Amino acid sequence: MQSIVHVCLAGLSAGMFIWLVASGLTLIFGVLGVLNFAHGSFYMLGAYFCFTVLRHLSANFWIGLLLGPLFVCAVGFIVERFFLRRVYHLALPYQLLLTFAFVLIFDNLVKIVWGAGSLSPPRLDIFGEAILIMGRKFPAYNLFIIAVGPLVAIGLWLMLERTWWGRIIRAASSDREMASALGVRVPILFTAVFVFGCWLGAIGGGLAAPYVGIMTPGMGDTIIIEAFIVAVIGGLGSLKGAFLGALIIGVLSAFGTRFFPTFDMFLIFILMAGVLLWRPQGLFGEAR
Amino acid sequence: MGKVLLETRGLSNHFGKICTADNLDLTIEERVLTSIIGPNGAGKSTLINLLTGYLPVQAGRIFFQGKEITRLPVHKRVRQGICRSFQIVNVFPQLSVSRNVMIPILALTGRSWRPFANIASEKDAHGEMEAILARVGLSAERDTLANALSHGDQRLLEVGVALAARPTLLFLDEPTAGMNPVERSRLLEDIRRLSREGRTTFVVVEHDMDVVFALSERIIVLHRGVVIGDGPPEEIRNDKTVKEVYLGEDVSDLFRYDEGDETK
Amino acid sequence: MKNKSLFAALILVFLAALVAMPHLSGRFTVYLAMRFMILGIFAVGYNLLLGQTGLLSFGHGAFYAAGAYGMGFFWLHLSPHPLLGIGAGVAAAAVLALLIGFFCVRHTEIYFAMLTLAFGMMVFSLIWNAREITGGDDGLVGIMRDPVTFFGLGKIPIGKDAQYYYLVLFFFVLSVWVAHRIRISPFGLVLSGIRENARRTEFAGVPVRNYRLAVFVLSGAFAGLAGALEAMLQSNARPFMAHWTHSADPVLVSLLGGLHSLTGPLAGSLLFVAMREIVQRFTENWMLWFGIVLLIIILGFRGGVVGVVQNLVLRRRAEGEG
Repeated sequence: MQSIVHVCLAGLSAGMFIWLVASGLTLIFGVLGVLNFAHGSFYMLGAYFCFTVLRHLSANFWIGLLLGPLFVCAVGFIVERFFLRRVYHLALPYQLLLTFAFVLIFDNLVKIVWGAGSLSPPRLDIFGEAILIMGRKFPAYNLFIIAVGPLVAIGLWLMLERTWWGRIIRAASSDREMASALGVRVPILFTAVFVFGCWLGAIGGGLAAPYVGIMTPGMGDTIIIEAFIVAVIGGLGSLKGAFLGALIIGVLSAFGTRFFPTFDMFLIFILMAGVLLWRPQGLFGEAR
Repeated sequence: MGKVLLETRGLSNHFGKICTADNLDLTIEERVLTSIIGPNGAGKSTLINLLTGYLPVQAGRIFFQGKEITRLPVHKRVRQGICRSFQIVNVFPQLSVSRNVMIPILALTGRSWRPFANIASEKDAHGEMEAILARVGLSAERDTLANALSHGDQRLLEVGVALAARPTLLFLDEPTAGMNPVERSRLLEDIRRLSREGRTTFVVVEHDMDVVFALSERIIVLHRGVVIGDGPPEEIRNDKTVKEVYLGEDVSDLFRYDEGDETK
Repeated sequence: MKNKSLFAALILVFLAALVAMPHLSGRFTVYLAMRFMILGIFAVGYNLLLGQTGLLSFGHGAFYAAGAYGMGFFWLHLSPHPLLGIGAGVAAAAVLALLIGFFCVRHTEIYFAMLTLAFGMMVFSLIWNAREITGGDDGLVGIMRDPVTFFGLGKIPIGKDAQYYYLVLFFFVLSVWVAHRIRISPFGLVLSGIRENARRTEFAGVPVRNYRLAVFVLSGAFAGLAGALEAMLQSNARPFMAHWTHSADPVLVSLLGGLHSLTGPLAGSLLFVAMREIVQRFTENWMLWFGIVLLIIILGFRGGVVGVVQNLVLRRRAEGEG
């Protein structure tokens, strides 16, 4: 019983962690219609910038988490404003390949600036080492992640449903032309949403370092696949779906790692294929 | 005249609360040039979508030449002989006019599964393509890219591609939309001529009343998914219900049809 | 037309250069030329799917790997005959493409891309995890190049690189020829129709889904051939071949060279291999520069290198006439 509870908790924390990364990706796709391959890179940049802030400015975790992502937002602004904006009207392959080009660029820039090897994030002691749950230790930081996930979800929901700002976003994502005709400055909105999405990804990265324990320039490449799968299972563009998808994936892969170690990654793909075969648009996606 | 080509029984379709087809029992007769008219939202395009297989049928059945085709996918219906042209020009933009027309020809003669044949040596297909281009008057443009054509020529190409599928029954969805009067009368002449040739039965969906009355041998009037008029032009012109439905437009202008219009 | 014969002459010169290469240059250049040809086979087949039919797959590395591992298993456990091994690799890739394609072609655009990406990574993780069978991240090793025999009538050795080169060249020319035939065939025209307007193609009486599956399998077979040839070149098969970042290679190369022509992917492959070699002498981060080049192409030169050349030729012709 104790194992099951621990596996569930591990699954929940993994799931919430993926949700943090997938939320930005989903938001960007839902509003801009662009699937951002480079989202993993913004996640990675978030981790590295936070690390640098902690190393050179202040050893306070919260300050690192506050300032690091801001630098990433600046990068995201440049990417959207000067590059991505030019390809919205083009066919899908070009958009995907543009974001992929940035994956190549950022992965290698990080190697140049911070070195190609792995880095260890500074030790985190705010939450204490571990908490005893049912007789076994469970990392406290992971419980923190389990709490942050729903907070972000609620925050996003509140923003989209209850604020004026959120209403505009929803309008623009369902009908771009109409929103523009009604006076919404769509290009500025797109930039803002993209930067916000990058910010979410960067926060994920900043939170990742203590969770995963190690940082490498390739860390974005693997997380992006998991984020894609979660987004597709939930329905591309649906935050609700991404949250649910992340939960399912997190818990399932935790059980998979524990009981079927050889096939854990494989299980995720099977699940995705299965969901898409049953419901081609994902759990909460719009039927095409 | 008189042989039933297409028949629907109880065809119904709803988009949420909006009823676009309400228990329709329609028949289309062979070689009778039929028009379908109705105010906006009457369900005309939906009807074509249902009959050609583009929209799945929610309720009711469709029969073509006696065989049921209700669940048949689009490409199989085309092979049975039902085809359509689109309201918004829907051709192959980066291909030349001749290639646009070749695609349905090759597909329907079963030549398209051959990966090692050479298009240049498909003599029969080329012959048929040239014939179609001649029928719609685009022979001179055979090497022009479709998206480089004038709007009127694109609409002609639209009809040409539809004809290339050798349809027994061809639905034309607002074929003259956006055309200037010269182009329009040219296309109408073509349709009239092709209809007389007898190989294809034309069903035209139109907004333009001049077109409708100049062309049709039979007019079906749809309103909110229900047929409110069905018969030869003179009968429809004098039908009270039809006139009421078109209220708000200048009715007298709408229904003025001089004998002299035939020669315009 | 003057241009056509000029073009044909260029091709003959290029071919002659390829044939003469082992006698004119050192081992390393020969090795590079083989890498170019193998990538060229991968890209030319892939472009039938992307440039011709308009389908973006991010999982073709899986078929490349199937070709490599198929060939490897055949050599290790069944028979050392190289041609049969290659055949086994191509068959394995085609079957895998049929299975995966069946699920993917019912979706379009972005879901298709995501599904192929996922299936590709599924194959990758399968290969990676099944250590006992596939060797895990070490891959299959020790694949040797036995001589090519024809029913006991003489042996053609391919052990040395310079000898193996001609086998690769043979398959390269064969692949390009097959791709060319497909492009100018009625089948190829229908594929273009599907790219330009899938809905209209449906209304032309074409079962679009079946055609998509057919070209998916075809491009998978090309990928398998390339994988099998690389397995013999490097004497091993590695899981990375199925990773999505490797699946991106033919996409990038086709875009670099030009999506809408036969020569585009080939020009792109040549440039890619050349660029990698040159830039790698100066910096470890050659992918950074490649990313920048890709950015420039997407923003301004979407016709690729071939597109740029075509524009120059057209402009020169217009100026000549004007």
